[in-house]
Amino acid sequence: MSSTVIPSGELQPHVDETNYLNVSHTISSWLLTGDHKRIALLYLVSTSFFFFLGSVAAGLIRYELTSPAGVVLESDTYNKVFSSHGILMVFTFLVVAIPAIFGNFLVPLMIGARDLAFPRLNLASWYMYMTGGTLILAGMVFGGVDTGWTFYTPYSSMYSNGQVTMVIIGIFIAGFSTITTGINFVVTIHKMRAPGMTWFRLPLFIWAMYATSLMMILATPVVAITLLLVVYERTFKLPIFSPELGGDPVLFQHLFWFYSHPAVYIMILPAFAVISELIANFSRKRIFGYHFVAFSSLAIAGLGFLVWGHHMFVSSQSMYESIVFSLISFLVAVPSAIKIFNWMATMYKGNIRLQSPMIYAIAFLMIFTVGGLTGLFLGAAGTDIHLTATYFVVAHFHYVMVGGTMLAFLGALHYWWPKMTGRMFADGIARVNAVIVFIGFNLTFFPQFIVGWLGMPRRYHYYYFAPEFQAYHIMSTLGASVLGLGFILPAFYLTKSLFTGEKASANPWGAHGLEWETSSPPPTSNFLETPIVMDEVYDFDPVSDHAEDLRRIAEEQQRKLNDSNRPSEDHN
Amino acid sequence: MAAITPADHGHGHDSALHHQFEDIGQQNDSYIVGMWVFLSTEVMFFGALFFIYTLYRWNYQLDFYIAHEHLDVKLGAINTTVLLFSSFTMVMAVQSAQLKKRMFVIGYLAVTLVCAFIFLTIKYFEYSSKLADHLYPGAGFATDGHAAFGEHAMEAGKLAVNMNHAQLFYSLYFGMTGLHAVHIIAGILVILALIRLWFNKAKSVTLDYVPTEMVGLYWHFVDLVWIFLFPLFYLMPKPH
Amino acid sequence: MASNSSHSHEHHIVSTGTYFLTLLALVGLMILTVWIAGFNLPSIGPFSGTVVNQVVALVIAVAKALLVITIFMGVRWSSTLAKLWVASGFVTLILLFGILGDYTTRHYEHQRGWEARPDGALPRSTPDEEVIPPANANDLNVKIRQ
Repeated sequence: MSSTVIPSGELQPHVDETNYLNVSHTISSWLLTGDHKRIALLYLVSTSFFFFLGSVAAGLIRYELTSPAGVVLESDTYNKVFSSHGILMVFTFLVVAIPAIFGNFLVPLMIGARDLAFPRLNLASWYMYMTGGTLILAGMVFGGVDTGWTFYTPYSSMYSNGQVTMVIIGIFIAGFSTITTGINFVVTIHKMRAPGMTWFRLPLFIWAMYATSLMMILATPVVAITLLLVVYERTFKLPIFSPELGGDPVLFQHLFWFYSHPAVYIMILPAFAVISELIANFSRKRIFGYHFVAFSSLAIAGLGFLVWGHHMFVSSQSMYESIVFSLISFLVAVPSAIKIFNWMATMYKGNIRLQSPMIYAIAFLMIFTVGGLTGLFLGAAGTDIHLTATYFVVAHFHYVMVGGTMLAFLGALHYWWPKMTGRMFADGIARVNAVIVFIGFNLTFFPQFIVGWLGMPRRYHYYYFAPEFQAYHIMSTLGASVLGLGFILPAFYLTKSLFTGEKASANPWGAHGLEWETSSPPPTSNFLETPIVMDEVYDFDPVSDHAEDLRRIAEEQQRKLNDSNRPSEDHN
Repeated sequence: MAAITPADHGHGHDSALHHQFEDIGQQNDSYIVGMWVFLSTEVMFFGALFFIYTLYRWNYQLDFYIAHEHLDVKLGAINTTVLLFSSFTMVMAVQSAQLKKRMFVIGYLAVTLVCAFIFLTIKYFEYSSKLADHLYPGAGFATDGHAAFGEHAMEAGKLAVNMNHAQLFYSLYFGMTGLHAVHIIAGILVILALIRLWFNKAKSVTLDYVPTEMVGLYWHFVDLVWIFLFPLFYLMPKPH
Repeated sequence: MASNSSHSHEHHIVSTGTYFLTLLALVGLMILTVWIAGFNLPSIGPFSGTVVNQVVALVIAVAKALLVITIFMGVRWSSTLAKLWVASGFVTLILLFGILGDYTTRHYEHQRGWEARPDGALPRSTPDEEVIPPANANDLNVKIRQ
């Protein structure tokens, strides 16, 4: 299949041999595990829970916006609802999901290692995530926060009456979960690659995970200390970031966005990681421009640290800084565009199979392109003056976050489901679901672009001053219902596959990569023997392997037939 | 082809080697690099505070200068010396761990602990004197600059210091030195745990010096932060 | 590039003498910085004496930090990867200081009512007692800050 060698030729153990799932069934073997694969599943369950809560908040928002005068929520409550939606989705789902689930599961498998470098730290990371998430939820139950997920001062530090302190401490602890995951990935990728796995033989998934980890490690501490200072301010009634004592609210914004801009790249780079794998394997073709895609991940990580000011064009930031940030924002679009073009070039003349992960990947290409291009409207300081704090921004980031990261998440979930669980799901309904998600998504968020440039402000629960927006909002809410269906259905058919799905072979998709060289599900130590890598991972034959085999078999059979028809000639 | 790597990597007789690593060299490298990656996060953590300090001090130079005069340079210098010495004893503990000299490790770690306690004690006295003069951040901050800072706060009979900006200085002072003290306390706990492991001859520390080295790296980082805090807070030049 | 090589695992044991000399150097630098802080250094070029004092103190602090990092923390004998990560934290911190670019360039814009203040870069509106007359008669008839 690929140019790796399992030295003894032993591809997979017998079906009833132990794997990481059935090696032990006790609760403590799950809650005290060091196995990166089990920890990935722990994350899968917990992040799905937080995603569900964040979706409930989203549903409330969409319901509220169906009428110009609001429907069921007061202003204060609405503020708490959209803040919850943002905080849950950003800090407990998007930043965590793909790295902690698929990164944890796949990084050791893809590089041929037995586990991550620091398994106990990995478990501690999950516990920190759970502690932080629980504190955030507690804060929401005991009053909620109405500051938005951005916690701008001086409102959050001096005037808000919500559970700001509790929620911030939860975010702080969850932030350490991110940092430790990043540390684990960086050390693992540097030091634990299998023999022969040089940097340029790595799957592009690993390159993107590495770039993500760089940002996790270097940016998260800044928001940690900034939010801690907000707690400090609230505790001591001490305005560091507000003008009473001579502080500067814009300083908070600078420090907050210094993290939060890399954070959005932390959310999208793992999605890029997944898409590289999906497109290469479902086009059965070498990724076009491997080096460009690999270095573009690093470029996004590097440039991503230099553009935070594009969230602050209207904040009274210096005009000259705004010019610089605007310019660099245009530059940072280039590596993302390089990836999109390279993926499309990979698909060209590839042997494309439209199974469900590929449908998600193609949908990603379309939706992320729109999201990325609209980011340029916002990155240009002049147009941003008009578009900022409108629904245009909301639509932009939902296009890249939901249409980007969520679609990649679903694609990854479907693609690696057989590897993780050992069961194949019904691909038919999965493909229908992918289309449902695509339709629902566009129906939800495209009208938001329109209503945004028409002037609908964000974070408003009423728009009685512009009742003509109602049609767009209703369309958006309808789309949200369809989208919600698209998110709920996988929970059902994937869970069903756990019980009734057919057992998966080691490589049900015919894909390339070390993770497909071991059984589904893998044994606890991942590989029976350390694999030795001979060539890059995307070494597809341009013509389908299977067709090549068939042709060769047919030739041989024909030759045998010819030989048997002329025995006298051969034996003379 | 290539050599077949047996599944058992001889882990049985070398219990310091964890299962995910091939050999002790890979493990040690991973731990050291991992510790440095963690320390780079700490650099960003403290670094943001240093940035805030830089910005506010640049804007309120005179007020920060007058406010800082309440700090005792002698105590700060003693604290700096104590921490530098504790860094020395810590690195000697690591060296003893490399040479497998158990009692020396425990001895040096104990001296490091003593230094840490001396540091915290001096900090306690410094903080007490600030609290006594109402120079703590919050609603109770001193309003009378003359009483708090003495004569050099006055210029031609008028108060020359803006008490709001002085409060900003003290909030940064307590915030940054307080966060540093929290790190010292965490370091004390970790060193205590390390002493206990060495005392009990635990294999995790006796077979391999790297755990001790990792604690050493953390402790040196704490010292590094203080090396910058000391001149910035205590040795402020007079603006003119 | 094999990941399981152990040749970067130095097990290089530094002598006590080196450590002790480093300690002496560190304490010496500390005494130096306290002593110099007692003087009001003269200005050099466009930099005022205050700046010179501050730069000297920071240079000495950086020297102490380098001694601690290279010798006490052993970075001098560490792998290239460790050295890269030592640098990464500080490089990113320098990027954070890019925020100063905002504050240093704010006063380049002329905003009526937000004139540049001599004592810093944080924007503060001109207080009421300093009334701003309109720039010319063609100005919009809007009260800005009176």
